[in-house]
Amino acid sequence: MKSKFVFFSIIILLLFSNKILADDKALAGADFEYGQHLSGECVTCHNSTGLGQGIPKITGMKTAVFIKKILAYKTKEKDNAVMQMVADRLGEEEINSLALYLSKTK
Amino acid sequence: MAKITRRTFVGVMAASTTALSMPSIAFGALPRVVVIGGGAGGATAAKYIAKDSKGAVDVTLVEASKRYYTCFFSNLYLGDFRNYGSIGHNYYGLAVNHGVNMVHEWASSVNSAEKKVYLGSGATVSYDKLVISPGIDLKFNSVNGYSPEAQSIMPHAWKSGTQVQLLKNQVKGMKKGGTFVMVPPPNPYRCPPGPYERISMIAHQFKKTNPTAKIVVLDPKNKFSKQGLFMEGWQKHYPGMIEWISADTHGGIKKINTSTMEFETDLDTFKADAASVIPAQQAGRIAMNAGVNKGDWCPIVPASMQSQADENIYVLGDASIAKSMPKSGFSANSQAKVAANHIRGSLTGSKVFAPRFANTCWSLVATNDGIKVGANYDAKPDKINKTSGFISKTGEDSNLRKATYEESIGWYSGITSDMFS
Ligand SMILES: Cc1cc2nc3c(=O)[nH]c(=O)nc-3n(C[C@H](O)[C@H](O)[C@H](O)COP(=O)(O)OP(=O)(O)OC[C@H]3O[C@@H](n4cnc5c(N)ncnc54)[C@H](O)[C@@H]3O)c2cc1C
Ligand code: HEC
Repeated sequence: MKSKFVFFSIIILLLFSNKILADDKALAGADFEYGQHLSGECVTCHNSTGLGQGIPKITGMKTAVFIKKILAYKTKEKDNAVMQMVADRLGEEEINSLALYLSKTK
Repeated sequence: MAKITRRTFVGVMAASTTALSMPSIAFGALPRVVVIGGGAGGATAAKYIAKDSKGAVDVTLVEASKRYYTCFFSNLYLGDFRNYGSIGHNYYGLAVNHGVNMVHEWASSVNSAEKKVYLGSGATVSYDKLVISPGIDLKFNSVNGYSPEAQSIMPHAWKSGTQVQLLKNQVKGMKKGGTFVMVPPPNPYRCPPGPYERISMIAHQFKKTNPTAKIVVLDPKNKFSKQGLFMEGWQKHYPGMIEWISADTHGGIKKINTSTMEFETDLDTFKADAASVIPAQQAGRIAMNAGVNKGDWCPIVPASMQSQADENIYVLGDASIAKSMPKSGFSANSQAKVAANHIRGSLTGSKVFAPRFANTCWSLVATNDGIKVGANYDAKPDKINKTSGFISKTGEDSNLRKATYEESIGWYSGITSDMFS
């Protein structure tokens, strides 16, 4: 009985810590408020109402999708002079904070 | 308490040093911010302070006009790529969505010792922090023979509005095969590529309706922004139409005569059938009145955009000396966000993040032929420092140039909704 309980606890703990680890890994240092602040730089081009023409909407994007797209500019795999420059100065903390904020914003 | 990282460190410092200097909070009244000028810098600052403080700061925007006609894209209006209505914007969004108090009056003077702004009507508004973003005033007498009266004959059209409509009428009404003379301003001035985009758009008009017309550019400079790109575009789209003459070649504009439409230089006297003269520029006069200028422009502290003369006054946009950023709407919008974050931090103790500045300027050379230049900046103690940048290349393929033009349309819609909604 007791051992079963311990066993379960360990499983739950493992699952839980794994989940934290997974989230942490994906969004290390992410801070919603910082993401919101940084997004001020983006909305000069990316229409905050999402109705932009010539520049795509970036709000409501899943974090993993967002990170992949930003990294494509950062590594210059995707070609666009302005976005390469924008991505160039975003570190991991910045990218993750933006991912968090933008994923939760319509 | 959040862990202290590079990004929050500045904020924690600011919060602890400003906590003692918040008398208005201590007495239960809201801290007050007054913004003078509802353009690219001022509208953005008013919005971000009001939006992010969620009612904790009382924000008043003093703007003379009820409608703001952007200078950006006024060249596209000249070239028939935009209509006039599409470059006009109102302030309802700032008032309704963010609770900004709109005061449509001239700020006639600033008493920085008493922290008061005097309005044209005689009323006063007091502030804890003042933002000044009045744009430019023109130095009419920088061109011998030019004057406020002359602007209806040879429009400068450098502050948008009816001047741009006047210029467009004169371009469209110019006699067939006539000569248009353009005088760009000397450095520093708002929108470095602007005069050359204007030349491109006037050439675009002529190509359609007056193909034997000529454009003579009498430049007080020997080089200009995106020169290689513009020159290449002019050669390609308007061969033989545009003659750009550098200062060293014409030796200086000695005198212009608005009744004979003559431009006297060492090289020759040029006769125009229509003309645009853009004189030298200085910070909007209210900045001089507030005593935050040093000569024609206003020195700032790069990390916050605070005036070097008064820590309770912030100067944004064209009026500021934001070296190495160019005077542009994009720059003003970027500076406004740095200032808004700093002002809110000092009034409410909210986090102040490390300043980040950016600029990109697109120009249209011809249909679907857009070019761009941009840079990132950070704050060094003595200047806003360029950290990286890019510029379009000569000989780029037409798909890229079209995409660049489309980007500029997206940017216009982005920045104007960022400013006004
Ligand atoms: C032809 C042209 C093309 C341009 N193209 C671009 C472009 O493509 N991209 C770009 O980024 N920039 C462009 N610019 C530059 C851009 O317009 C300016 O850099 C930008 O508007 C500066 O913002 P600001 O806040 O300093 O001043 P402004 O936007 O000029 O705003 C100042 C406001 O203050 C008000 N004001 C002034 N004094 C007072 C007072 N005492 N009381 C009350 N109100 C007052 C004025 O009415 C005005 O609305 C262009 C400029 C021109 C002329
Ligand atoms: C100077 C204008 C400008 C600024 C500022 C800007 N962007 Fe962009 N962005 C663009 C353009 C243009 C594209 C389309 C590029 C392309 O065609 O690949 C784009 C594309 C993107 C994409 C890809 C969208 C998709 O669905 O493919 C993402 C993500 C993005 N931007 C994020 C950001 C973030 C985050 C910021 C702020 C930190 C930002 N951008 C700031 C102009 C800008």
